Amino acid sequence: MSAVAEQQTRVPSPTAGASAAPVQQQTVNRRRPEQGSRQEWIVVHVLYLIIVIFFFAPFLWLLTAAFDGDAVAYIRWPAQPTFANFTYVYQNFHIGRALANSLFISTATMLLSVVLVSLAAYSLSRLEFGLKSVVTYGVLVLQTMPLSATMVPIYGLARDLHLRNTYLGLILVHSAIEMPFLIWLMKGFFDTIPRYLEEAAWLDGRSKFRAWWEVVMPVARPGIVVIAGFAFLNAWSEVLMVIILVDDPGKSTVPLAFYQTFRSNGGYNEVNYGLVAAVGVIYVLPVIALFFSLRKMMVRGLMSTSRGL
Amino acid sequence: MATMTPGRGLIAWRRNRSLIGGLLPAASLLSLFFVAPAIWAIYTSFTNRALVGLDARHPRHVGWANYERLLHSPAFKTVLINSLVFVVGSAVIGQFLLGLALALLLDHGEHRGYRATPFVYGSVLLAWVNPTVIAGFLWVAMFDFYYGSLNKTLELFGLSGVSWLGKAPMLSLIIVNTWRGAAFVMIIFQGALRTIPSQIYEAARMDGASAWQRFWDHTLPNLRQVAAVVLLSVTISTFGAFLLILTLTNGGPGTKTEVIALYAYHAAFQSRQIGYGSAIAAVMLGLNLIFAAIYLRVSSPKI
Repeated sequence: MSAVAEQQTRVPSPTAGASAAPVQQQTVNRRRPEQGSRQEWIVVHVLYLIIVIFFFAPFLWLLTAAFDGDAVAYIRWPAQPTFANFTYVYQNFHIGRALANSLFISTATMLLSVVLVSLAAYSLSRLEFGLKSVVTYGVLVLQTMPLSATMVPIYGLARDLHLRNTYLGLILVHSAIEMPFLIWLMKGFFDTIPRYLEEAAWLDGRSKFRAWWEVVMPVARPGIVVIAGFAFLNAWSEVLMVIILVDDPGKSTVPLAFYQTFRSNGGYNEVNYGLVAAVGVIYVLPVIALFFSLRKMMVRGLMSTSRGL
Repeated sequence: MATMTPGRGLIAWRRNRSLIGGLLPAASLLSLFFVAPAIWAIYTSFTNRALVGLDARHPRHVGWANYERLLHSPAFKTVLINSLVFVVGSAVIGQFLLGLALALLLDHGEHRGYRATPFVYGSVLLAWVNPTVIAGFLWVAMFDFYYGSLNKTLELFGLSGVSWLGKAPMLSLIIVNTWRGAAFVMIIFQGALRTIPSQIYEAARMDGASAWQRFWDHTLPNLRQVAAVVLLSVTISTFGAFLLILTLTNGGPGTKTEVIALYAYHAAFQSRQIGYGSAIAAVMLGLNLIFAAIYLRVSSPKI
């Protein structure tokens, strides 16, 4: 991890202007461009083409199928592009309700995660005593815990605590399962912020909390954006916990609606690819829009960690 | 802080007190959904608790019966082998090698200033950000025997179609999981490539080293430590992943793609035996702690 963690110094920190920045800049500098041969250009671009076909073809199919009134399993341009699939799923699958639920749950998860993660990550970054390494190792171990191992007990626990089919249950579970990763990520951001900032604020007579809130947090804003993005995306995409925690249609979310449409219309039984693709587009478009609008920041944040997703 | 003046020590202590307060909210949430479930699972694995019915309300203690049943079940050996094949095929070979190759190729393309590079990069990322069930659905269509894009393409070249999910289910899953996970490995390696100081390459070039020599002598050694962490990280996440398999094959045909994570899910939510499912979850927790111990040893973070 340490080699990757060193990357964290590259995270933009407005305070690092004077002394640290020039040294960092040097190692980040790209090698001087060098002209390649014509053959090299051709080889690289043939490889590029193969990569794009492999990675993009399935999405091309999703987009064409969603707007095809008579969608098939292979990629083809719809004979008559139509919104019929979307109007049908909107009228028959309670997509409106699911969208509202998903939006509410994801936003609440994002807000809760930002508050809890920044408090915990700042504390972990600034703590100076023996227990610190225990706690930090603990966070790392939790980070490696797969959902499949905790899913059965979370189901049992949620049932015993009457958290099934409630917004609160979904918000808490979604916040918790992504939290170890986000704390680890955010701790890296806080590590790059020099301590004299808040120490100066204390000397000015601010309380610990106000120094953190008014001085440290504004500097950490790029990090906050990244963890807010990841928290929202995860809560929006996550389906396994919704499957086991929700069976009340009124509490259905977009992932659950997609999963159920897929089960009943796309998987093994009668196939109606167009309908499933339409729900799929509704499900995946916000994810793609949000991720690619924050792409540079989120990828840079990820480079600073090394956790599998 | 090796040298602490008394005043600094006092500040440090005061600060620590409020900092521990800052940890508490997150710590309690994590205890509720990570630590408590682990304890719950271990406790429940010694009972015959069921999802519904009488055993759901009044579970009885059954000792080690669930664990004995798991060890003696022929399914256990099958799911372990399936998990091994899935992890080696899609995490170690697929995601890791493809991700490394992509990082090197795209880094090279960026270095050469090829304009297409960001689009290639974007398409790899796109496969990774989409939710798992979407990936499953897209590939159900791609793999379709009669009308899927894959077999349609084979037909174009005069080849006969393959029954992907029927005849080669594990290979199909490995392809899809590689498709999804290569981007993560690529991102991490890209980050590592950027930390290699450019001066090293300049110096090597002045010494007359060929491109291949520069790669072998300077690029690869600098990636070694990151590689170990990435490899373990994708192994751990692939070992625990089963949603993709649930959507594509649901473990079938037969038990050909039933991995241990999916087996735990089926035991609890299909056979409705929470006690037995918890025993499998507890075994997975144990295996995972072993992985985590190796992970911490290899990554040895500077805390």
